[in-house]
Amino acid sequence: MKRLNSNQNHGKLPVLLSVKGNGSHAYNSMTMVNWLASMPWWTPVLLMTALILWPHVAWAGSNYTAGDALDALWRWAPFLIKSGFLFNILISFLVLAVGTVGGVLLGLGQISLSKPVRAVSWFITQLFRNSPWLVILFVVMLLVPYEIKLFGYNFFFPDWMKAVFGLSLPIIANISEIVRGAVQSVPNTQWEAAEAMAFTRNQTLWKIILPQCFKRMIPPWMNWYAILTMATPLISILGVEEIVNLSRQAIEAEDNHPELLIPFYSFVLILFFAYCYPIARLTVRLERKFAVKL
Amino acid sequence: MNKIAGTLAMLSILVSSTSAYAIECNNTVWNKIQANGKIVVGVKADTKPWGYRSSDGKLIGMEIDLAQEVADTLGVELELVAVQSSNRMQFLEVGKIDLMIATMSDRLDRRKIVGVVGPNYYSSGTNIMAPKALKITSWNDLNGKPVCGKQGTFYNKIIEERYGADVIAFGGNAEAKQALRDKKCIAWVYDDSVIAGDLLSGNFDDYEMPLASEDDNPWGIAVPIEERNCVFGRFISGMQFNWHQTGDLIKLEEKWGIQSTAYLATQKDQFADWLSE
Repeated sequence: MKRLNSNQNHGKLPVLLSVKGNGSHAYNSMTMVNWLASMPWWTPVLLMTALILWPHVAWAGSNYTAGDALDALWRWAPFLIKSGFLFNILISFLVLAVGTVGGVLLGLGQISLSKPVRAVSWFITQLFRNSPWLVILFVVMLLVPYEIKLFGYNFFFPDWMKAVFGLSLPIIANISEIVRGAVQSVPNTQWEAAEAMAFTRNQTLWKIILPQCFKRMIPPWMNWYAILTMATPLISILGVEEIVNLSRQAIEAEDNHPELLIPFYSFVLILFFAYCYPIARLTVRLERKFAVKL
Repeated sequence: MNKIAGTLAMLSILVSSTSAYAIECNNTVWNKIQANGKIVVGVKADTKPWGYRSSDGKLIGMEIDLAQEVADTLGVELELVAVQSSNRMQFLEVGKIDLMIATMSDRLDRRKIVGVVGPNYYSSGTNIMAPKALKITSWNDLNGKPVCGKQGTFYNKIIEERYGADVIAFGGNAEAKQALRDKKCIAWVYDDSVIAGDLLSGNFDDYEMPLASEDDNPWGIAVPIEERNCVFGRFISGMQFNWHQTGDLIKLEEKWGIQSTAYLATQKDQFADWLSE
């Protein structure tokens, strides 16, 4: 993984640089936001223009023109944004909340002193980090029943709730790695100094190590937020009424003209770009700012 | 062997329906509707013109009109829930909806799960849209050829098994039709009335519906299975009977621009009031 901060380190004594703890690599996976942030902001606009011009050439024979398709998109846009895109954003927040809480717990489990806890946490982390998200979603969908009877009450798990749970699992695993990597990137001398001053392990962790980790965890954490937001349309396959499914329903309501496909799906693309692009730019800026400061 | 299995299945249906007679009706859902002053009906959101959305997000369509009439007759409020082919029966089973009017073909295996009550309110057959240039004349011409379809329709499997077609199923019909235009398949298989509507639109002038429709399959409205032979089931039967006799279904067909089906005309004759005129 390319270290963005390598230039800033010239001329510093090695002891001032961040140390990779215990010989294992610090977790850094910012490919996605780096890639997204490197695009100029007008990329999707250019794409959309190119795509809208395309059907004119391809299907001159049909009565239904690209102009009709854009009219249809104009009519549907408010509904698609309000009931569709905002729902995707809501889902992404819920997944981030569940994923953060679960990921921190699992990450601390990975650096636990108890070997079984460490092993189990490691296994869960690796399992969900390395499985395709869609497969995880399908398994959760089939595994969790729609209705559970507990203490005489019926608990319902609608599809969107299952989808939040399913998307959370890979996020938990990746945030677990962020936490483990961040904790292990704090120099061992910090632990040793804390021990010398008679701090307990819990005190060392919560009062000395984690506060130092916090800043450096923010960029990768935002990176995963951007990735998971872009992954929310996956849940359309499970029948959740989010933006892709509602777009499909809109296309159905407009008589399934194939000319509608490109404007409607490009519109979804632009919405996601407009939302994720600033996050990516901010993430990259924060990463530069927070790099190597102990 | 299949015949025996079929007979057994029929028998078990008969036995179950007669035994349902014998057990006492709780009428739980029926009573709940009365108590709440509200009926929850599961309808489609992605099947124009039976159930789809208007651009403000409201559910509209022929089946929504039927649901409204059920609610009006009961004198209760109507609440619509969008269902999909994959979850509509489950929603009825667990009580998320009280009634299902969702373009469901009335099949034997489905009757074991939900309470389909007759007379069936609609019927559709399977047909294909194909380029005129291909000059397809029989279903057997599809043998070994790619055919585009929509995911979740029961006849995808049938035309694969019966005629050896390779069905490529898409999430939506727009995608399927685009694939047909892109020549990724030689035909698009779907409900005959929908294909007829598309051909009339003038956007598919180089295409035709060359075959005789197959697998004409009536559609069923379903109540929870425990209430099939109780008040609720009988009431919905009565509603459907009345829609046929008054010709309301044919009027709705016209209202929503559906190609008129022979099924509704014959049903209207069959249920005609012998004293009228």
